[in-house]
Amino acid sequence: MTIVAVIPAYNEQSRVAEAVRDALLYVNYAVVVDDCSSDQTSKNALDAGAIVLRHMLNRGQGASLQTGTDYALENLKADIIVHFDADGQMQGSDIQELIKPILDNRADIVLGSRFLGDSIKMPLSRKLVLKLGMLFTLCISGIKLTDTHCGFRALSKKSAKDIVITRDRMAHASEILDLIKVYGLRFVECPVTIKYSPEVLAKGQSSWGALVIVKDMLKSKFLDV
Amino acid sequence: MIFQILLIAFALFAITITTKQYRLRKVSLYWFISWTLLWTIVIVVALIPQATDPIAQLVGIERGADLLVYVAIVVLSYGLYRVLVRLEKVQKEITQVVRQVAINKAEKSKGHE
Repeated sequence: MTIVAVIPAYNEQSRVAEAVRDALLYVNYAVVVDDCSSDQTSKNALDAGAIVLRHMLNRGQGASLQTGTDYALENLKADIIVHFDADGQMQGSDIQELIKPILDNRADIVLGSRFLGDSIKMPLSRKLVLKLGMLFTLCISGIKLTDTHCGFRALSKKSAKDIVITRDRMAHASEILDLIKVYGLRFVECPVTIKYSPEVLAKGQSSWGALVIVKDMLKSKFLDV
Repeated sequence: MIFQILLIAFALFAITITTKQYRLRKVSLYWFISWTLLWTIVIVVALIPQATDPIAQLVGIERGADLLVYVAIVVLSYGLYRVLVRLEKVQKEITQVVRQVAINKAEKSKGHE
């Protein structure tokens, strides 16, 4: 059973190594996709024991996840793929619980939920935005979840092959949910702990990012080619 | 009067440029013909604005100039839409290339070799 963590990273030199080491305690390989960082992200990830794929142009988080997934399936023959963040928000120790439903053959994809688990210091504004996101997803994708945009997921080989991310930027999380519905994949939610440190909040998506996601999704409905 | 002259001058300029580009094989024959035709019509309309009135009245619009504005808006909107679709396609193709290069040049730390 080969378990691969796919870690998209953009200018995360200070935190990526720790995230890689943390993930590697629970997976066989950590694949860091460096989305054209201008800092030492690649080097630090490599030193921490990751396999590093470098985008020579910045293509976004969705594109990075897909690059890592392609590599994991083709070159590493992954059985389970875990989407993990480079910024240390996620806990490697949650991976065991996250992949359990796939190992037990109860699910094809397991979605981490910040609302089932403990979100350490999640600001109220963020909470509200995520609740709205939940409602939006229920309307658009018809899937009821407690948390729609948590990046922590585990995918079986089958679902990783079915779910091909074409939204290069942030709307990929919604796209994944769309595809779960399209392919009728079995999904469950699993509580995960996400840390909201001031540093992460400063660099990560602002809550306004939600509007960008909505814009991206609507655009994709009109511009699909 | 001044506007008419400016318009005709610009139309002639556009036709000259297209002709030059067509000679250099930078644009297709199809593009050359349609572009030249468009600007020829602009010249005709600039010289005899009343010429478009009968056509406008045929579709229920009073003045030919109004008809031209409406048609221009529709054509431009469609053109913009086409460009956006095309842009999206190019973006996706770039991602494919970037992805392929990244995968082919995967770097492994010593433990994996």
